[in-house]
Amino acid sequence: MVPVRYNIRSLLVRKVTTFATAIGIALVVFVFAAAQMLGEGVNRALANSGRTDTVIVLRKGSDAELSSTLDGERLNMLRSNSAVASSAPGGGVIGESVLVITAELADGSGGISNVLLRGMPADGMKFRPEARIVSGRAPSPGTNEVIVGKSISGRFEGIAPGKTFEVRRNRPLLVVGEFETGGTSYQSEVWGDLDTIRASVGRESVVSSARVRLTSASAFEGYRAAMEADKRLNLKVMREDDYFKKASEQTSGFLAGMGMVIAILFSIAAMIGAAITMNGAVANRTREIGTLRALGFSRLAILTSFMLEAIFLSLIGAAIGLLFVQLLALVSFPTMNFQTFSEIVIRFAATPAIMISSTIFAVAMGLLGGLAPAIRAARISPVEAMRG
Amino acid sequence: MATESSNGASIVTLKDVTKTFYRGKEPIHVLAGLDLDVPSGSFEALMGPSGSGKSTLLNLIAGLDRPTSGEVTVAGANLSRMSDGQLAKWRSQTIGFVFQSFNLIPVLTAAQNVELPLLLTDLGGADRKSRVATALRVVGLEDRMDHYPRQLSGGQEQRVAIARAIVNDPKIIVADEPTGDLDRKSADDVLTLMDKLNKELGKTIFMVTHDPAAAEKASVQRKLDKGALQ
Amino acid sequence: MNSATYARRNLSRRKGRTILTVIATAVAVLIFCAIRTVDVNFMAAVDDAMADRIATRHKVSITMQLPKRYIDDVRGIPGVTKATWGNWFDAKDPKERIPFFQGLAVDHESWFDVYDDMVVDPAQLAEWKTTPSGVIIGDKLAELFQVKPGDKLTISSGIYPGDWEFKVIGIYMPSRRTVDRNSVILRWDFLNNDPRAELVKDQIGWILTRIGGNSSSAEMSRAIDKLFDERDDQTVTMSERAFNLSFMGAFAAVLTAFDLVSIVILLIMTLILANTLAMSVRERTNEYGVLRAIGFPPKSIFGFIVGESLLLATLGGLLGCVLTYVLINLMLGPWLESGPMATMFPYFRTPPRVMALAMGLALALGLLAGLLPARRAAKLKVTDALRRVD
Repeated sequence: MVPVRYNIRSLLVRKVTTFATAIGIALVVFVFAAAQMLGEGVNRALANSGRTDTVIVLRKGSDAELSSTLDGERLNMLRSNSAVASSAPGGGVIGESVLVITAELADGSGGISNVLLRGMPADGMKFRPEARIVSGRAPSPGTNEVIVGKSISGRFEGIAPGKTFEVRRNRPLLVVGEFETGGTSYQSEVWGDLDTIRASVGRESVVSSARVRLTSASAFEGYRAAMEADKRLNLKVMREDDYFKKASEQTSGFLAGMGMVIAILFSIAAMIGAAITMNGAVANRTREIGTLRALGFSRLAILTSFMLEAIFLSLIGAAIGLLFVQLLALVSFPTMNFQTFSEIVIRFAATPAIMISSTIFAVAMGLLGGLAPAIRAARISPVEAMRG
Repeated sequence: MATESSNGASIVTLKDVTKTFYRGKEPIHVLAGLDLDVPSGSFEALMGPSGSGKSTLLNLIAGLDRPTSGEVTVAGANLSRMSDGQLAKWRSQTIGFVFQSFNLIPVLTAAQNVELPLLLTDLGGADRKSRVATALRVVGLEDRMDHYPRQLSGGQEQRVAIARAIVNDPKIIVADEPTGDLDRKSADDVLTLMDKLNKELGKTIFMVTHDPAAAEKASVQRKLDKGALQ
Repeated sequence: MNSATYARRNLSRRKGRTILTVIATAVAVLIFCAIRTVDVNFMAAVDDAMADRIATRHKVSITMQLPKRYIDDVRGIPGVTKATWGNWFDAKDPKERIPFFQGLAVDHESWFDVYDDMVVDPAQLAEWKTTPSGVIIGDKLAELFQVKPGDKLTISSGIYPGDWEFKVIGIYMPSRRTVDRNSVILRWDFLNNDPRAELVKDQIGWILTRIGGNSSSAEMSRAIDKLFDERDDQTVTMSERAFNLSFMGAFAAVLTAFDLVSIVILLIMTLILANTLAMSVRERTNEYGVLRAIGFPPKSIFGFIVGESLLLATLGGLLGCVLTYVLINLMLGPWLESGPMATMFPYFRTPPRVMALAMGLALALGLLAGLLPARRAAKLKVTDALRRVD
């Protein structure tokens, strides 16, 4: 085995080349990790939004709350089942009205985006124990007061504590506080009073969707069968966590898919970069390699030595890339929730699994790039190399 | 190609030349108060052990380097006072180089290697071509024009290098161990050629060498030791 | 021979390295073009918008509707030559064979007059106007559904709840590249007269207005919005371009991320070029010393190296443009435009201006990559350069 020190020295001697290649690999690792962190961020925001003991009820044919409508009669039907946890807030069933509004970005760019506005009954917040007010206060029921999710607070004109915005002419909604829900997608919504909000769109008699708290997660199948059995009711009953998972898959699938395609294309360029560098390393050291061979090192030892050097090179790159990608955890990224067509703000989320897979990716790049040059090195015959 | 007459006047004059290098903060006096006169048209050999300052002296005469103090006058130009740019131009007109390891450009043919210095002149393509042909004829390699250096033997490579050195019609040819990398036979051919350049074309030749046989060909032999001429 | 001969010949010195570098540069150019093409694709609808069409929608939300009577008010404004309306149908294939297509409930009398970039056979159009349950369908969607005029077509809707059976009357063809060919055009009056329309009775999604030659779209937009300013449902009117752009709002961050990523690939390309040049220059230090000794000034050495770098970048850039043309414009683009994601990718081709930009950037960055090694080599002392024998 050729001493490892030999490879480290070789990388140090050719500082510029080593640095340029490592930075190239670092950039690829950065993009690779960032794409996964984005997907993970979407997963955390959306997939974690739902609970297993809660069901969401929509009108059949609707994929999302946005396009669904339920009337009071159906809401009452939902309550009349023993699987409903009637001691929970709202008697275990709350009907909510969901509206997507166009809002102008507060950054002065003139850009617009969609914000999800959720009208909920008095117990709506209590129904979601993870929600808590972080500044200001909860809205008073039956008024024009709303609270804004922490992720989007201040992002849009008029949607920040102390400010007002209009959904219907001359009926401003007043933002009285900010709330958070532990990073889930609810945190990118605006919450207000059910009657105020549905009145402003002229749909006083209906809600968009209902949420039902069950006595236990296992009661779901029975409850669904009971509610969907009556074809006239035209209901669609889903576990809340499944509902959000579906939304998450569409959105993170799009982002992570795009990111992954780009990262893989990038890796081709980086692999070629690594190959060039390792080829140069071999060419510069033909005589040295010949000497090592003459001293009795086997072809395998030479091959291993150069593969190790390629791995070191990619590890340096991976370390730099992963170091910088941590900074992304400070960045929030607005994207579209394909299910609601409204904006959700997510955070890049780093997990050990992403760090590990990125490192493996870098090493694989190094190995693939370094393979041909290493084979070339191993093939050098001692006699020819010494001749020069 | 014009010939220079050996009129005995000095073409290289060094007066009280010192050259000091620094290894870290510690000064190394390679040359200390050296005086030298090389008459025009002579063929001089400079010998001496490694580290004696031979290469430094050669570099000063060739205008590759400037002295720490003292005056270096070559072919009427005071090199001590010239800028890098002026020196480069002066070298291209005045000096022909011959190196130990030939230093031909491997990706250029023999003719193109010889043509290189002419790219620094205003000569047109046809003029350059005829000059290259003449220079290669002088070294006896006109039939190897389109060969690449790797297709030539060591002796042939050095002769192409000599053709490159004379193509600009320089006043002085500076040679650094021209036979160092050659076998005896090729070395003798090269030395014969240099002798011919000196005798027939009147070129002043200043050659650093370890090779006693090479030194013998020269008309003057000097020895340098510890920065001083013996 | 001239000075360029040397720079050119130097590329053949380490052929493997030159080939790899050229490929890496080409791949970078290809990726850059591909990313920009995603941008171009998303912006095509915006770029292609008609200057004389302005769109009106609900001020609060794209999902909220306007009273149908607004159309009469708009038509009464001087300067408006034609106006039509449409509503979202939220169309789905009940058998779920076709994942995503658009259903538009429209005014059969005026729709194709305003949307004249959807071309329909006059006979079919006349028949449609007398057939309430008839639909006109995009040529690509007709292919996907495998229907022809005269066939029955069942579509379900979220907005007009339930399954609806229609009769295919005609096929519309696009007259511009960005016209969606996966839409089914339904008659709004037919839907609105059905009891299932209860919640959206007499409501419309948007109004599209064609304005006369000498009215400015900004003035007309203001005039329309002013008309409804005192009503319950206020409107926002903008040029078709701005209207299309407003759908891009949610993608803005994604597109920005793409822009960043396309810069990253250029950085990687520069690093690879710089690396190759640094290695070449290192190996040739002695040679540069010889050239300097012969009398070449530092700026010649600088020129040789920068020239070599530019040559590498040019070769890589050209290869990259060829790859882009073949892989994107001849292969991926046609596939995406006719595949299941056609609605997302109406126009996935790399325009010549993007390739020219990529080529220009490759050259500029090639120059940049060459500068550092070139400067280093040019600054080297002749005596130091000559001493280095590798």
